[in-house]
Amino acid sequence: MRVLVVEDEVRLAENVASALREGPNFAVDCAEDGLTGLDLAENRCYDLIILDLMLPGLDGPALLKNMRSHGDRTPVLILTAKSEASSIIALLNAGADDYLTKPFDLGELIARAKALIRRGKGVADPILRLSDLQVNTVEQSVRRAGRLVDLSPTEYRILEYLIHRPRVIVSKRELLEHLYDYNWEHHSNVIEAHISNLRRKLEAATQQPSIETLRGRGYRLLMGFEDGR
Amino acid sequence: MKAYSITHRLIATILLVELLAALCISGAALVYERHVRFRSFDVMLRGRADSLLGAVQDAEDTQDNVMLDGTEVNLPAEDIYQVQDAGGRILGHSANWIGPSTDLLTAKPGKMQRVSVRGKHYRVLRIEGLRIVDPGDKGGGIPRRVTIFYGSPIDHVWGEIWEAVGFYATTSLSLLAISGLLIFWVLNKGLAPLRELAAEASGVSVDSWDFAPPHRARMIKELAPLTVALETVLGGLEQSFLQQRRFVSDAAHELKTAVAVLKSSLQLLTLKQRTAIEYERGIERSQLDCQRMEETVAKMLTLARVEANSVPTTVATDLTDVLRQVSQQFESMAELKRLQMVVLAEGPVMVDIEPEQLQLLCGNLLLNALQHSPAGSAIRAVVQQDGTQVELAIEDGGEGIAAQDLPHVFDRFYRGDPSRSRNTGGTGLGLAICKAIASRGQGSIDIASDLGIGTRVTVRFPVSALPSASIKVAVRN
Repeated sequence: MRVLVVEDEVRLAENVASALREGPNFAVDCAEDGLTGLDLAENRCYDLIILDLMLPGLDGPALLKNMRSHGDRTPVLILTAKSEASSIIALLNAGADDYLTKPFDLGELIARAKALIRRGKGVADPILRLSDLQVNTVEQSVRRAGRLVDLSPTEYRILEYLIHRPRVIVSKRELLEHLYDYNWEHHSNVIEAHISNLRRKLEAATQQPSIETLRGRGYRLLMGFEDGR
Repeated sequence: MKAYSITHRLIATILLVELLAALCISGAALVYERHVRFRSFDVMLRGRADSLLGAVQDAEDTQDNVMLDGTEVNLPAEDIYQVQDAGGRILGHSANWIGPSTDLLTAKPGKMQRVSVRGKHYRVLRIEGLRIVDPGDKGGGIPRRVTIFYGSPIDHVWGEIWEAVGFYATTSLSLLAISGLLIFWVLNKGLAPLRELAAEASGVSVDSWDFAPPHRARMIKELAPLTVALETVLGGLEQSFLQQRRFVSDAAHELKTAVAVLKSSLQLLTLKQRTAIEYERGIERSQLDCQRMEETVAKMLTLARVEANSVPTTVATDLTDVLRQVSQQFESMAELKRLQMVVLAEGPVMVDIEPEQLQLLCGNLLLNALQHSPAGSAIRAVVQQDGTQVELAIEDGGEGIAAQDLPHVFDRFYRGDPSRSRNTGGTGLGLAICKAIASRGQGSIDIASDLGIGTRVTVRFPVSALPSASIKVAVRN
């Protein structure tokens, strides 16, 4: 998953980014002002945007309204130092999905970020299930047919992204955009190796096919197709 | 002191004065009526006494005496009289009178006397008359002196007098009542704008500063100064209240952010197990975060102190001296950055600011210039006096400030370019403090900047008219 943090207080942005990278293994980009934030958000490759209210250039609410008016449905978590109900109501009405008042707890921020991403993908249960595959996003553990599958952080991130979009072909570019930060192109060559490792580990347990590679189009999880085929 | 009503006092005073006036009018009426009525009464009395004299006739006897001819007497029945001759012989008297008292007998002729007879009060006149018996005889007849006492009851005269006085008294008392009501009504109506003003003023609170004095209040000569004063005071209060509130809100925002940074830095360390080096770096970073928070707090307090100090200063300070002192402090820093610092200040130039604050002003401006200047460039600090104006200009050849940020640089916590403020540890308060100090010295501060060329900050002050203070103050920092 890839998150955009728009925060002018650089030290806070650094800490939030580090926490999201270290905790749930997200790819994080940071923007220090509203206009840069808007530019980055317009790429539509983020699964969550964490937005500060008071920003130079373009402030948080303006950025949010701009995004929403252009049909961007990315979940937005607002960071605000204002705790008055009126300002929070105005924010939620402007299209924000959630808010945290400063100073906040990093653990809470991570939990809310995960919940918002989940909701953004139309999922409520933090344990994602697809046929015999089970991905626990809290523990970051994966089971197939009840057996624990040991994955590397990158492999887990790939699987987590794919399981959020079952039965859909996910292009390599989309996968890269959502798993890595702005320099995702550098990872272009290694993604295939990661997919291959992931496939091997998933199939080791049951000998059943797991990930299909559609040449030139992308990847797709094969679980969940058994009934339809 | 007990609360009292001006209306009530005013009405009470006016009514009291009117009451006194009514009493005086009644008293004067009493005196006047008494005088007039008794004068006419006396004229009547004399007339009646004279007509009684006319009834004294020749008795036709040998001694040529006189007598009172009862048939000639035609007088009111309630009157009393007695006629006697010089020898004291009573010639006749009214049926209801037994005769005058000794007082009356010895009284001077023409004099009026008060007499009470059987509970009735009379006014009695004594006159001396001369009757000539046989005036046709040779020698002109025999003169016979008679004394007449004539009285008429006065009770009805007094009744009339009291009636008149009563009329005056009731008239003035009813006028008093009417005027009392009228004054009350007029005052009540006249004071309505004052009540409206009070109602409007009482509607003012910290959440609603709207104060629209009624138009009438402005049109009333007595109320206009109060209205204007209220407007001025409320305007000033609102201004300073909003300023304070904005400051508190800004400060809260800054502090919450600073705490958020520190808290997240520390929590980040606890997210997972780390190596000793990672912990060490994390703690170092947290300490830097703490330091920044400390700086923010210190500057906030400085700003609050400068802004809160509304008492005009009583000392004048030499700007050139302070500028030289401060620039000396920055010399090593300038050297380190390989910056040339030029100070052109011919003194003394006195301005109305405390030396500490002037140091802060010069220090902040010079530090800004130093921080934003590239190595090898020059900084100029110039003090010029032009008549009654002093101008301090600090120029740098730094990166400049974007045009859209220029109008806001004196705003509290405004940071145009966040990356720049991060590098220099800016709190967004330095220029706000400078502006507050400039205003304190009745001065102004302006900034002009061209991106990539440099920035020029100009502070203008009126020259001080105060005696100079000791400028040998301890240099802080």
